[in-house]
Amino acid sequence: MLSILLWLPLVFGIVALLVPAARAWVPALAGTALTLVLAAVVAVGFDPGDPGRYAESVSWIPELGISYSLAIDGLSVFLVLLTALAWVPAVAFAASRNAGDGRERLFYFMLLLGETATLGAFLASDLILFVLFFDLMIVPFYFLFGLWGRTRDGATAGGATTKMIIYTLVGSLLMLVAAVAVGFSAEEVSGKPISYSIPELIARGIGESDQYWLFWLFALAFFIKMPLFPFNGWMPDAYRVAPLPALAVFSAVLSKVGAYGFLRVVLPVMPDAAELFQTAILIFAVVSIIYGSAIAFTKIDLRMIIGFSSVAQLGFITLGIFALDETGANGALFQMINHGLVVVPAILIVGLIAERTGSEDLGPMGGLAKNAPIFAVIFLIVTMATLAIPGSPNFIGEFLILNGTFQVSVAIAIVASVGVALAAYYALRMYQRTMQNPLPPGSDSREISLRDALIIVPMVLVLVILAFAPQIVLGETGDAVSAVVEKVGQLG
Amino acid sequence: MTTASWAWLVLLFPLLGSMVIAFGFRRLPDRTAGIIGSTAIGLAFIAGIGTLLGLLSEPSESRHVASSLWEYAGVGDLRVDLGIFVDPLAVFMVLVVTGVSFLIHVYSTAYMESDQGYSRFFSYLNFFVFSMLLLVLAGNFVLLIIGWAFVGFASYALISFWYRRTTATAAGMKAFVINVVGDIGLVLAAILIFRELGVLDYEAVFDAAPKVFSTDQWTVVAICLLLLVGAFAKSAQLPFHTWLADAMEGPTPVSSLIHAATMVTAGVYLVARTWPLFELAPAAANVAAIVGVVTLLVAGTIALVVTDLKRIIAYSTMSQIGYMFLAVGIGAYSAGMFHLMTHAFFKALLFMAAGSIIAVMANDQNIDRMRGLGKALPFTAAMLVIGSLALSGFPFTSGWFSKDEILDFALYRGGWYTILAIAGYVGAFMTALYAFRIVFRILPGRPCPEAEELIETGHVAHGEAVNPANGQPEDYEVGYPGKEHHIAEQSPGMRFGMLPLGVLALIAGFLQVPGVTEVVTKFLEPTFEGSSLAAIHPPVSKAWLGLLNGGVIAVVGIAFAWVFWVRRPAIPGSLRQKFHPLYELFVHKWYFDELIHAVIVRPVLAFGDFCNRVVEPFVVGGIVTGTTSLVRSAGALVRDLQSGMIRAYASLMVVGAIAVVLFLLLRGG
Amino acid sequence: MSIEWYLVLAALLFAIGAGGILVRRNPVVILLCLELMLSAGALAILSFSRMLGDGDGQVFVLIVLVVAACEVVVGLGLVVAMFRRRIPLDVDETTELRG
Repeated sequence: MLSILLWLPLVFGIVALLVPAARAWVPALAGTALTLVLAAVVAVGFDPGDPGRYAESVSWIPELGISYSLAIDGLSVFLVLLTALAWVPAVAFAASRNAGDGRERLFYFMLLLGETATLGAFLASDLILFVLFFDLMIVPFYFLFGLWGRTRDGATAGGATTKMIIYTLVGSLLMLVAAVAVGFSAEEVSGKPISYSIPELIARGIGESDQYWLFWLFALAFFIKMPLFPFNGWMPDAYRVAPLPALAVFSAVLSKVGAYGFLRVVLPVMPDAAELFQTAILIFAVVSIIYGSAIAFTKIDLRMIIGFSSVAQLGFITLGIFALDETGANGALFQMINHGLVVVPAILIVGLIAERTGSEDLGPMGGLAKNAPIFAVIFLIVTMATLAIPGSPNFIGEFLILNGTFQVSVAIAIVASVGVALAAYYALRMYQRTMQNPLPPGSDSREISLRDALIIVPMVLVLVILAFAPQIVLGETGDAVSAVVEKVGQLG
Repeated sequence: MTTASWAWLVLLFPLLGSMVIAFGFRRLPDRTAGIIGSTAIGLAFIAGIGTLLGLLSEPSESRHVASSLWEYAGVGDLRVDLGIFVDPLAVFMVLVVTGVSFLIHVYSTAYMESDQGYSRFFSYLNFFVFSMLLLVLAGNFVLLIIGWAFVGFASYALISFWYRRTTATAAGMKAFVINVVGDIGLVLAAILIFRELGVLDYEAVFDAAPKVFSTDQWTVVAICLLLLVGAFAKSAQLPFHTWLADAMEGPTPVSSLIHAATMVTAGVYLVARTWPLFELAPAAANVAAIVGVVTLLVAGTIALVVTDLKRIIAYSTMSQIGYMFLAVGIGAYSAGMFHLMTHAFFKALLFMAAGSIIAVMANDQNIDRMRGLGKALPFTAAMLVIGSLALSGFPFTSGWFSKDEILDFALYRGGWYTILAIAGYVGAFMTALYAFRIVFRILPGRPCPEAEELIETGHVAHGEAVNPANGQPEDYEVGYPGKEHHIAEQSPGMRFGMLPLGVLALIAGFLQVPGVTEVVTKFLEPTFEGSSLAAIHPPVSKAWLGLLNGGVIAVVGIAFAWVFWVRRPAIPGSLRQKFHPLYELFVHKWYFDELIHAVIVRPVLAFGDFCNRVVEPFVVGGIVTGTTSLVRSAGALVRDLQSGMIRAYASLMVVGAIAVVLFLLLRGG
Repeated sequence: MSIEWYLVLAALLFAIGAGGILVRRNPVVILLCLELMLSAGALAILSFSRMLGDGDGQVFVLIVLVVAACEVVVGLGLVVAMFRRRIPLDVDETTELRG
């Protein structure tokens, strides 16, 4: 079941390579839709009490202890669902705006390869497999950003993308080294033959002194991927050039893989280190919140505002994880899902705004709501969720995170809450300066088309449903997350 | 039906109304939105009465009901239900909110009739009422925060309702951001409560608090101060008050409903709701009382000098809420709630009257231009006078009974509370002065052109509307009162909205005649059961003495106003000359806007700018460039080996082969 | 005759071939030298095969000869193609693959 779910997008991606370019979107859209259905079936059938239900494992390279094993549990189930959900509007958005450059086949192949790689990272329950998918994820996006990305003056985006891939690969390679070392260390500790199965690694544990340096190699890779300050250097350039559908899934899902890695690997395998470096990581996180918010506060480029607000949001998520508290970590996982749900529509809306105004800068914009009340309301809901207004699922996420942080350090929690106030300003400003104020000449205030509404509204609806009952998610994830945190807690 | 079901219905109707209008806005014929909106609130009011009757049928000690629909969020020990809590205090607020809202909705059907954003307006307005009721009925702190933030959002949406105006959107932003600061205060308070007590439901918290906290323990003081941050931000108390005057950019019914009668008093409700915590933290309660008094004085001085009609009333609102904070801060909860109610009546009425006047003046709100409107708008003028009398605390009006009950209580507490009471009397004098400054300046005298036109022809025609603040033309298509302004006199809807409030503003005080009726106190008694402060009630004789004081001050204040603005109009000008620095201070609103700008906005912008210019390129960019150039230079090193010369490759191979052979030989040997 | 002599001859042939590849720049001569090295290898295999009395080595040598023939075909084809395009027949001049 999980294998089908995992490879389905890639299969459809290959099919997309074989059909005429103008029709390449059909298998792509069908593939993502089917993946979503399958993911939904898995999620509905998921039972927190029986996490082994869908697990599958095949020995791959037995000499090295590497196996092809997939599993789904409370940590991953909603992230898998989010991935499957986020890819559908992204592909649909790309399909509705076919470039007609004759390279669509490759585009959809890359996009679907990206989905398989991301699903792989969430589903893998073997450390080496996780690292492989983690590295594979970036490859299709290198091509998507490099070949289809455009800078402001219309040039292709080779340079910025190369920078991104080198930087993230450096992090990933360090993590590969660390992963191998984790296997050996666990072998040494347990005296049993080498294995990279994550549950096995957790059971064996690794030497305390090894934990301390391995921890930072993992943390570095995840920080770069998320990204957190001061490792966000690749982000502005990549965000500036990326084609919007690719950026939507990239920002919504790929950044979460880093945070997920902390919950999946770092905390359970390296609990001593997590506890020792807790304060350091919390400070990284809170600095990211303030830094990301402060920059988003001053930017007028819509992509940059969303990009830096993501830095702040991932700061919150990291804060929740490293509160090492039940409520904080649950809030963090919930917030990963919420942020994904918010970012996809937000980025696609940037595309719609640019189509109406010919710009992605707030400066010359305004008044778009005039003939487009429905569009304005959709954007307003997304804005309110972005700034985590109480009543939105994002608020519950932030509330739990702050609650968890508060148990550890009151000062950090208070500084982090400053980020909430800044978010209110920059998110609302984004809405106001596009939708309200006078409509400048040359801007076209037209209503969102039915097709675009069908692409964007479903994700907004999911947000609204979660607003009424966040327990839908929290109830399923609670046990798994608590288990991770308790693992660390047992030490103290 | 049970009391709880009635209470859920109270919440359901406005939400349903808002959604029906929102989803049907393209299909709803003509002006149905107004009818749907008003009906929804009317039904909520009826459901509120159902709740009241349900509650009254219980014996007084069991007059509280908690009910929940489903588990909202539960993680570990943290359990939050989608639950409500109904007790006399909540029902009291429900009735005030739904009742006043209903009248304002009806008023709005007429006031907004020519506005293109008609459906949008009623959808927002219904949503606001829903949020306010959620705030009032919430059964735990999380739901309270949700309602709290939703009213902030609705307030934002309605302040910037005419979103074509840059001044309106800026005002909306300011209101929203300051309210978010308040929300954060509440969030931190809730988290602290959870940390200390492990629960978030009202009943559980109030049960546990006295067992866990000792009086004035720092944690409970911190909780209460954080709650006060939320309360001050929502209720426009110092230093979070600057948004309220700007919020007057919204349509006048909005000012009337949200920024006078209901939302801004939520802070007072919050303190009354959480009285068991505040009684454990007298220090925080004193802060509430002192801030209330300072606000009422500062706002009063500003109201004396500004010339924008709606802003005068807005500052007056701040000042009146200051009285309410004084009341709940010193433990006079029922007096505070009573003043909240009477204030809702007379202040909503004043705003409605102001709306009627502003409509005639083509949205010009400057009282300098208004003259002789008494003859042109007799009905509105009557309502304005009634509202001003009640506001000033003229004997036997509602404001007289409610405001002076608070000050009595403060006097009776004695000690340094006497200073607060005296300051309150000073404020009362200013209140009478500025209330009748409005009346005496705009009603009598030679009619201004608009008034003259109205008297002669029965209607007023206006040219193209411009925003008086910045001279930009208004855009009728995105929602702005059309050229056909409504004259209150001629529109039954507006009359229907104003008349009941006018009557209530006059007679509602008789609900609470000391020693005679005291309906409000008796009704709210079960909520404040066990409060040591609420029991310190001044005896009837002292209460009447206090009322006498208050009445005298009100009458003297009105007399002074008459002297200043009718009898000898030269006096205010010469006073302004004489106390020029003071005048400057007041007219610039004590420079709070400038202060906040310099202390908060500027540093944040500078920090962001610093991050952008220094940290981003040099630190963050430096790490990236460093890493990538490290990788690149390592690549460049190896790249030179890739010369493309076959013979170079061949020699390398030979050397390599020899090295391997030598290695094997040496190791083997 | 002992096997040493065969191996010395093979080593000499190999060294001559390798030296030729290193010093000559004409691709045709390089190809010739390459053949020489292959033949040297083949001779060594043949010698060991004979010494051990195992026929497998002879089969390998036959395969080596076929491969060598194929390689010459491709190599000479490349040389002709270079000649036709007026590319100088000098391996030091053709460094297109420089990194």
